[in-house]
Amino acid sequence: MGVIVGLLLLATLVTVRVTTAELPTEALSDAAKDFFTLSISVFIESLPFVFLGVVLSVLVQVWVPASVFDRLLPRTPVLRRVAMSLLGVFLPVCECGNVPLARGLIVRGLTVSESLTFLMAAPILNPVTIITTYQAFGWDHGILAGRIVGGFVVANLIGWMFSRHPRQHELLTPKFEASCQVAHTEHTTRSRVRRSVLAFAEETSTMLPALVVGCAIAGAIQVGVSRDIMLALGSDPVWSVLALMALAFVVSICSNVDAFFVLAFGALFMPGAIVAFLVFGAMIDIKMLALLRTTFTTGTLVRLTAIVALCSLVLGLGVNLIA
Amino acid sequence: MRDRFLTHWRGIALSVVGIVATLWLAVTGQLGLYIHPRYFAFTTIMAGIAVVFVVLAFLLVPVGGEDAEHDAHDHGHDHGADRGPVARAWWFGLSVVLVAATAGALLVLPPATLTTATVDQRVINSSVAGQSLDDTIELAGGDEASFTVKDWAGLLRQGADERTLTGKSPTLVGFVTPDTDDPENVFYVARFVVTCCAVDAQPVGVPVYLPGWRDRFAVDEWVSVTGTFSSNPSIASMQATVLTPREITSTEQPADPYVY
Repeated sequence: MGVIVGLLLLATLVTVRVTTAELPTEALSDAAKDFFTLSISVFIESLPFVFLGVVLSVLVQVWVPASVFDRLLPRTPVLRRVAMSLLGVFLPVCECGNVPLARGLIVRGLTVSESLTFLMAAPILNPVTIITTYQAFGWDHGILAGRIVGGFVVANLIGWMFSRHPRQHELLTPKFEASCQVAHTEHTTRSRVRRSVLAFAEETSTMLPALVVGCAIAGAIQVGVSRDIMLALGSDPVWSVLALMALAFVVSICSNVDAFFVLAFGALFMPGAIVAFLVFGAMIDIKMLALLRTTFTTGTLVRLTAIVALCSLVLGLGVNLIA
Repeated sequence: MRDRFLTHWRGIALSVVGIVATLWLAVTGQLGLYIHPRYFAFTTIMAGIAVVFVVLAFLLVPVGGEDAEHDAHDHGHDHGADRGPVARAWWFGLSVVLVAATAGALLVLPPATLTTATVDQRVINSSVAGQSLDDTIELAGGDEASFTVKDWAGLLRQGADERTLTGKSPTLVGFVTPDTDDPENVFYVARFVVTCCAVDAQPVGVPVYLPGWRDRFAVDEWVSVTGTFSSNPSIASMQATVLTPREITSTEQPADPYVY
């Protein structure tokens, strides 16, 4: 039954795509066309990373025994979070893929603050990001060092602050928390393949609508907000940092490549602003917040964004003073 | 049925839409309209892996909520007491709209490049996109024939003028976008430079002096311009050096419209 529906659906979609390939688009204004092109480009760019994150999350939830984490991770909370912040070294996934993986880790019994540490650190402390940042900037002006050290410190600070929250489960959305409860009590009456496929369906059902909404918002803001306002602020030590942080928030590009993107602004902006862009943008942006909202409450995300923004600002100002 | 759609089939449906869109773009060689070529392989491979999961999902995920075990599972999991039947109906409706809108954007709209609307949004030549300052373009000894719009725009930005560019006669292919300071007499033959995906596209362009160009070419039309560099006769335009065209022909949009 399902297979027939699936084949029909597939045939319909492919037919639609092939027949509409040359459709005239004069009816749409240029701005509307660009809104679609920009939103689609973020979606096509992020989708494989989300798939990778979902697949890894399924592996963690279904195929890795929970005891593995207890055996491998240190006992002391601080050291546990340090270990979590370095997990990205083995998982060079872009930040949008990290969200499903972090959900998988929470389901597997890691604390919320440990998962947050991972979420904040992994986009920066992973080999792909470090190599691309090095290719873009080399050792100039402490940008690479600022990004790596800053990312590590900020992520662990975030983890520590949220670990102080007395009721960790209140940081999560009720819906996600309920699914954790189920996962803890649910036992393996079904085969692992079947559970994997169900988990894939559940994760994509949560993540992909959020991704679509995030991409649409990112595209709309790109079309709506002119960029020269931000560029006018480049040479002031404070405003340059704030301007590039705002840009990072808006463009929502993956941490693996944002160094190449911001390189174009290297001549106009102070190095601290670049570091703030590279740290803040990797941790928080529009698309990321839409994805995180599937798991964390709005209050948690407001606090998270405020803390990361403040830390990035301080980091950027510090680099501007030193460099 | 509705509940199953929200918890499982919504994601499968969006996955299928995304996979069909991605693979169709890859097969027809149009992925480059949206993302940088370095992601082509990764994007295609992940879409392939997702195909396996989606096929298994159509085999294994139940369509309705008839299975008692699943009902219990879903109940604790998604719609506890916090969501009544009305709210669930709303979520179901919204999700259907979302899936349909995504399918419309990804599968019905023909693939497109960015237009002049985005050039206006992001100042043209505002930075030598993708180039660090040490990475200056060497005219002497450089392979001029391989220079793109981006390279010539970079040279002009570095201060190359009529004198240093004597005898150069490039042929440039790009789309037409007006110079905002003198839109009647000067236009840019422009390209977008992409570092990751179209969302970070930076417009670069070489100014062309041709009074009355609007009678011959439309904005966003693709053209091939051959000419020589000279001081800009336009008073309003901020550009010091322009290309004086010897020949301009309209042309097809290249298969790879962006430069990297």
